[in-house]
This record gives sequence, C-alpha cells and structure tokens, in this order.
Amino acid sequence: MDKTMATPVRVEGLTVAYGQNPPILENLNFAIRTGEVFGILGGSGSGKSSVLRNLIGLVKPRAGQVFIFGQDMWAEEGRWLNVCRRRFGMMYQAGALFGSLNLLENVSMPLREFTDMSPAAVETAARMKLSLVGLAGFEYYLPVRISGGMQKRAAIARALALDPKLIFLDEPSAGLDPITSAGLDQLIRTLARNLGISFGVVTHELGSVMNIVDRAILLDKAAKGIVAEGRPADLAQMTWPPYVVAFFHRRPLEDEGKISEANNARQ
Amino acid sequence: MNNAIPAGPGPEPPLSLIFDPQKRLARLAGALTVDAPRSIWRPLEPDKASASVAGINGELTLDLAGLTALDLNGSAQVLSVINQLDRSGVQVSVRGLPDDLAVILELAREALKAPTASPPPRIGLIEETGRKLVAIKNDAATLVTFTGKLVIDFLSSLRHPSSVRWATVEHVAEVSGVNAVPIVALVSLLVGLIIAFQSAMVLKFVGLEIFVADMVGVAIVRELGPLITAIVLAGRSGSAFSAELGAMKAAEEVDAITTMGLSPVRELALPRVLASLLTTPVVTLFACFAGIWGGCLVLTAMGYSLLTYWQEAISMVTGTTFNICIFKSIIFGFVVAAIGCQRGLAAGDGPGAVGEATTSGVVTNIVVVAVIDSLLAVLFYVWDI
Repeated sequence: MDKTMATPVRVEGLTVAYGQNPPILENLNFAIRTGEVFGILGGSGSGKSSVLRNLIGLVKPRAGQVFIFGQDMWAEEGRWLNVCRRRFGMMYQAGALFGSLNLLENVSMPLREFTDMSPAAVETAARMKLSLVGLAGFEYYLPVRISGGMQKRAAIARALALDPKLIFLDEPSAGLDPITSAGLDQLIRTLARNLGISFGVVTHELGSVMNIVDRAILLDKAAKGIVAEGRPADLAQMTWPPYVVAFFHRRPLEDEGKISEANNARQ
Repeated sequence: MNNAIPAGPGPEPPLSLIFDPQKRLARLAGALTVDAPRSIWRPLEPDKASASVAGINGELTLDLAGLTALDLNGSAQVLSVINQLDRSGVQVSVRGLPDDLAVILELAREALKAPTASPPPRIGLIEETGRKLVAIKNDAATLVTFTGKLVIDFLSSLRHPSSVRWATVEHVAEVSGVNAVPIVALVSLLVGLIIAFQSAMVLKFVGLEIFVADMVGVAIVRELGPLITAIVLAGRSGSAFSAELGAMKAAEEVDAITTMGLSPVRELALPRVLASLLTTPVVTLFACFAGIWGGCLVLTAMGYSLLTYWQEAISMVTGTTFNICIFKSIIFGFVVAAIGCQRGLAAGDGPGAVGEATTSGVVTNIVVVAVIDSLLAVLFYVWDI
C-alpha cells in the first residue's frame, strides 16, 4: 500500500449540492493526512457541514470523489460505502447519543454489532473509552442526565469505540463554556498525539482552531469553494483575500458582493 | 500441550495464542486489534468445573513479544482476560511487549484505573409497586391541579372573552374538530351497521325487525355516538395536543411563555379546550347521524322503507336522550382536550418524552372517558332519566 492509498481522507474535485439546486461549493480538493487535526472552516451557511455530510457518505457528491484510506467511497454503486464508514468515527454536533441507552451501552453498541469480542472485553473496552474522555463513573447515566459538554465527550467515546484511525467532529466546541471547550480541545489533541488518530473538524470557533488544528481549509459561499488553505497561524497572517482577513480577525464584511467578485477575479 | 488457534487470513501475520501449561507460558503473536476473534482466548478460559485454567493455579506468564499491532480494543481483551484469570486465582505477568505497543497497553491500563460506577441495583417488586402507587398519586394530584387552573382560566375567559386567543381556537377547531368529522362519521356508520345486523339476527325470529331502528336510535344517540366520538378524538386530537405541547416543552417554548409572565395553561391549553368544547358536540351529532344511517342500510336491505326506518329511529330519540347526548359530548370534549394538553405540558426531557406523553395522553383519555361514561350510565339509571 503506497503512501497515497494510506491517506485517511482525499477529496478530488468535490462538488457539493442539494437535489437539483445549483452547487453551493465546486471543485474542492484537499486531503487529511495521518495523525493531523484538519479543520474545515467557514462562516455560517458556507457549506462546511454539507462538505462533512459528503465526507461521511450521508450525501452523494454531485461530482468528484471522496477517498477514505484510499478507497473511493461511492465506487461500484456504493458497494464500498459501509466498508468506508466503518473505518471512521463521527461525533455529531449535538452528540446524537441514543437517548434510551446509558453511556456504557452507547459506547458498547458498535463493539457488540461489529466485533467478535467477548461481553467482558466489550464492557472493559467501553469503560476504557469513557474513562479516556473523562467520563469514568458516569457509565450508567442516560444522556439526558448529563451536560452538553459531557454528551460531546461521550459522543467522542462512541466514535472511538471501534478504534478508528480517523474521526470527524462537527462543531465540537459549539455551545460549550470556555473551560469545557478547552478541555475538549485538549482531549482531541491528546487522542491525536497518543493514538495517532486523524481528525476532520468542522468548526468556526477561532479559539479551538488555533488550539488544535494543524492545517485547515476556509470555505466561502460567495467564492463557492476554498479561499485559503494552510496552518491556522499562517492563515491568520494573510492580508488577502478580504474574507480570510475578516474571518480570522473577527471583522464584519463591508461589501460581500465586491469581495466575492474580487475573490472570483483572483481565482 | 500446545493449543494454537489461528485467527484467519489477512495482510498481517495471523493472530495466534500458543499455551504451554507445563511452562505456565502463553505466547500471543500477530495483530491483536478490534477484529480479533474471541476464540483466540479459548485456551485461557477457566475450567468451570475446577475453576482453574488448564489445571494450573498460581502464576502464568503472558508473552506478547510476537505482537505486531495492538489497539485499545486489543488491550481491552488482554486486560479483560487478565482480570478473569485473576478472579480464578491465576496471577498473570505480562512480558515482551514492544515499546511502541506497550504505550497503548499502558494507556488502556491507566484509563481503567479511574473509579468506575457499578450497575444500579435492581428494584424489588415491593419497591417498584410502591413507586408506581406514589407516581399514580402524584399524577392524579397534578391532573386535579391542572384541571383547577383550567377551570379558573375558563371562567375568566367567560368574563373577558377578548383575552382568549380566538385565532388559535379557530385553527384548532378546524384541525382537531372539523377535520375529524369524516373518520368519526365512518366509524359511527359502521358501528350502527353492526348493531343493526346483530339485533336483526335475533329480532327476525319474532318478526320484530323494525325495532332494530328503535334500538339503533337509542344506542347511538344516548350512548355510542358520544363514546365513539370521544375515543376517536382521544386518539386523533388528544394525542396531537400531547405531542404538540410535549414538543413545545422540549423546545423550551413553554419555559419562554412562563418567563414572559404568562400562563402556559391559559396560552396553550385553554384555546385547545375551548375549541374542543365547541366542536365535540357538533362532531358527535354527525356521529349520531351517521350511526343511524348505518342501521338504515341494514333495514332498507331487509325491505323496510327509508321513511319507516327513520320515523321509528327518531321516535325513540326524545328531548332527554338528545340532551344526554349533548351533555356527554361536552364532558368528553373537555376531558379529551384537557388530558391531552396536561400530558403534553407534563412531558419530561429526552427524545422519548414526547412519545411517552402522547401514549400516556391517549391511554389516560380512553380510561377516563370509559369511567365517566360508566358513572353517567349509573347516575342516569338511578335518577331514572
């Protein structure tokens, strides 16, 4: 297996669209490398969550390809879709924990469904994953009984259940207080460093971006694509295009129409 | 004795466990990951009869030098087996794990050192029964409190009609009342038809089939029309109230109303109850009409004229019978809407709360409607009405 095949995520010419509507993003090209925390950034409505839905196989791309560990997700009429899906974990914005199951059962479920591990080993693994995210002692709590930050941690534990080498996170810091958010950032960095997991993080929280993201792309709905790519510290130093400057310096855009024209002209 | 079980083909060397009881040594080789089969550990499973592992007690060495890959789930398997052996009196010492994999095992071991919770104790039958009884008592108290608030708001709305949200009343009346007429009429028509059939089968032996019309008229108007309407509305409109208000509670809309200084009962429940009070008697009349027509279909098929049937059926529907019908429909209209709203406003948190509130609303409604109907039947009998 060559290096290209081992790349956790490779996106080539991805066009994101809903139904028969005009595309919201066109010709996206990027890759998430082994062990890095990769940010998919953009303002509200820029299409970053839509890109994520394409990456995790919930929506078929209008055009282009998504490779998960070298396998084209939609090749051979979706035959590889579930194979690819089993190779990554996913944390949804609100956690998406199963409300009728306690945390231990939430984390155990993928192990029971997809592995041949003994019940004792499944329980040990689930307790371990919960402990790794700082939820030891909460194994028998229902999701509704814990805070939003704890729900997100539990969702990461569930995403870790099958020991994937790739995890996608949708707005991990959204709605969390700074301390909880910093704790979650630290957890993501720890998991990436200690377990060599690659993360694809969709976010617009600049604090988290600067703390945890190794490399990022910035999406702009006006430009219908990626307007900047690189290390967050480098992106924050950019003086052009205006959208990148406005995003990283938390400034309002004075004239979105002119800026999008300028962006298009430069492309 | 050597027990070697290969784990199957793969790009990595096959996973195998070689156990030598004489040397008290188990060698694990290959990739121990999430895909490892549980059968690999079979040689180390304690013997149920002797509670020992392959006849050995004391110490066992687990040599992991041959491992080529290890993840957290593989570590969980190792630690789970070590724990299991420990409970069987076998002390396991691990050796030979390559440094890069030892980090993973150590991470897993450290994670499991954190204090974990035990499963909550099972609740005994007596305690469970006690809890259920307390819950029923609290539920009844809540329902009475809610009814009290509703009655106060209702009386207040009579004094100040302009304070009622009539636009909501009109909308709810259309959705939960007018739109329910077809289904209520259909069910009632079929019930009238069934009663007529069953009665005719008996009465034809004595040549009194015409009295089927009297029976259908009385049964439908006095009893079944209001009852069918109430049960259908409980399933259709009462459940909708529970679900709608339960969803509003989950979305914190009810809290928003409360923090504005408004009463959720007055803002949300009262318009629905008023709409139900206004529409249920009308829907019940449609139900009675349809039920009587159901009987008519049978009798006309047996050769009686439409006019004869109609005159006979209507002759039994006195003013008192009609008043009882309307009285019951008002009571049922109030009960169905009130219980539906109360269950919605009392919905808990979590994804299943709306479903639970809806189920509870329908069940409570049907039970309460049946109980009230029975009580009224007894009272009317005692009072000779």
